[in-house]
Amino acid sequence: MKIMCVEKTLVSTNRIEAFGHRPLLVLQERAGGARSVAVDAIGCVPGDWVICVGSSAAREAAGGRDFPSDLTIVGIIDRWTPEGSA
Amino acid sequence: MEVLQVVADLVCTRRVEGMQAVSLRVLQSEQGVVSVASDPVGVPEGKWVFVTTGSAARFAMPDPLTITDLAICGIVDHWECAGNAQPAAPDAAAPDAGARAGARAAP
Repeated sequence: MKIMCVEKTLVSTNRIEAFGHRPLLVLQERAGGARSVAVDAIGCVPGDWVICVGSSAAREAAGGRDFPSDLTIVGIIDRWTPEGSA
Repeated sequence: MEVLQVVADLVCTRRVEGMQAVSLRVLQSEQGVVSVASDPVGVPEGKWVFVTTGSAARFAMPDPLTITDLAICGIVDHWECAGNAQPAAPDAAAPDAGARAGARAAP
């Protein structure tokens, strides 16, 4: 699992049916770092530090075995400083 | 599978139901890359562990329906960092882990 920070929501109106209306968020590994998009299975707000899963766990956490996600947010970290101490 | 070092516990109260109540650990590779793993073993800070990734990680958990993509499979008895890599990260957790390792080695 990766530790990432929620930057903003991603709006995508025209999407494949399989994605349904699941919210998508833009995440960063660190401030100014590489950005990626994840399905939000929890309900996060920008600024939250979260943990994300990939692989088959991402599909199942996002809605089911056939959900086409390869990155899904599965938890909000209670306390986190980007330097690395929990 | 990879060998990584446990640097801290991770508290995550708000989580998806599928993740149940598994323990989470912050791990760091020899190159300093940080990741989070589910921990079915109960590993203390500072230990080197080997982990499995991807969907195989779910089969490392007592319940294979657990949501995870990185699971600790075991504690490595002896491990030395390859080359000149730092034994632990230059972050706040590292000196603590080092101190504990020293305390264990003393007796």
